[in-house]
Amino acid sequence: MNKINTKERYLAIAGSLKLNNKILLSNFKININLKKWNTIIGQSGLGKSTLLKIIANLDIPENFSHSIKINNKNLYRFSWMAQDDLLLPWLTVIENIFLGESLRREKINFDKAHNLLNKVGLTSVANNLPSTLSGGMKQRVALARTLFEDNDIILMDEPFTSLDSATKMHIQELAFTLLKDKTVLMVTHDPLEALLLSNSLYIISNKNIKNIKLPNTLPLREINNDTLSYSYNNILKIIQKSYEEQ
Amino acid sequence: MIKTSKMLFSILLFILIWWAIQYLTKTPEFILPSPYNVFASIIINKGILFFHSLITFFEIIVGFILGIILGIYTGILFIISKTTRRWLFPFIIFMQAIPIFALAPVLTLWFGYGIWSKIIMTTTIIYFPITIAFYDGLKRINPMIVNMAKLMGANKITMLTKIRIPHALPHLSSGLKLAAAFAPMGAIIGEWVGSSNGLGYLMLYASGRVQIDLMFSAIIILAIFTLLLYNITSYITKQLTKWDPKSNL
Repeated sequence: MNKINTKERYLAIAGSLKLNNKILLSNFKININLKKWNTIIGQSGLGKSTLLKIIANLDIPENFSHSIKINNKNLYRFSWMAQDDLLLPWLTVIENIFLGESLRREKINFDKAHNLLNKVGLTSVANNLPSTLSGGMKQRVALARTLFEDNDIILMDEPFTSLDSATKMHIQELAFTLLKDKTVLMVTHDPLEALLLSNSLYIISNKNIKNIKLPNTLPLREINNDTLSYSYNNILKIIQKSYEEQ
Repeated sequence: MIKTSKMLFSILLFILIWWAIQYLTKTPEFILPSPYNVFASIIINKGILFFHSLITFFEIIVGFILGIILGIYTGILFIISKTTRRWLFPFIIFMQAIPIFALAPVLTLWFGYGIWSKIIMTTTIIYFPITIAFYDGLKRINPMIVNMAKLMGANKITMLTKIRIPHALPHLSSGLKLAAAFAPMGAIIGEWVGSSNGLGYLMLYASGRVQIDLMFSAIIILAIFTLLLYNITSYITKQLTKWDPKSNL
């Protein structure tokens, strides 16, 4: 596996994105901080998920066209976490965790899989089928599967959106703790989630992606009056403004 | 799978209704024989029924297995090769559009009077439902699962064997169950068109000699065999799709 060159501190992403003939993002340029939690926030329909797919080199719908370039893209390996847990229903929880190795026909590291399952607190359901788990548990399995792959960059497409608020908080904290040394690029439309988790925050507005200053504290940030008003004044207002511009 | 106790109950009910209709309308035995006479006929003609049943069952089973193999093979071919799909798909639809009755004399002409024309007829009749069901299952997977597997480094073979095929099993199961119910039709039509053996032949033979009780015996035996084939297929597919809550409601 390619390890991240220690001299590199950024993953530079630049270009434009079009849906049919409508420009969604025009000549944007962002630097993703390596080994940090990066978040892109914006309302629905601005091409956030498509941008993630382009970064991961996945197929995008045919009506999108783009000129997005990523520096040294081939040096990195990407993992994917989405709102949908993408667990395979015919495999048990533990088999889902080591799916990557079985797809590559490698020798399976059972200890590592069980160890990660323990870290997400699901040892007791190792041999259950995903259909027997709750939404929060499934997302924890998905997290363990992502960690098992041990890839450089983890792309997250609104991974916590479908969870209820108590479960959401718990899994956000768990993800943050377990992904501490990883590069995360998450897209979301939830300002509080962005504020809670991010080391750096980008906002999509006016067909561009801009870096937004975050409070001086480090994540995980507490949700209190300060963060709430910060989220309202500095994030939500910009999103609202860009909504009116459309 | 239909539970045995419930199945027995519906069979008993069916016989009761049959008997009631025959008794109450006083239909002559040569138009609708009573259940009693049909079972008596099964006992009397057990030798001849056994002989013809064996031939028909053999045709059905071989045709069924061949159809499954061909259908699964075509489904996989369709998913891995766009060109094959483009060229073969219209042909398969075209074949399905021709009534099997119209095809039967031609198949008898080509493959002879013996069992092969009936086996091929059975295969032809079930090939379409199996192919379409399986291909649909291979295709209808969440594209993000395929994407994730790509990111994890799946190759073409593991993508098929570990992602697409398991996902397609519930769909294939529906196709197999349809096929189990259709397969006997293929063999019987084949035997009607040209044959000197088999239950289909026996039905025509008995009907020509107004041995309606013997004709009904052949029908009953075929129906029981079809039910059995369906239940066995259903049992096997259930084992394959144990993980799918929707398949096991």
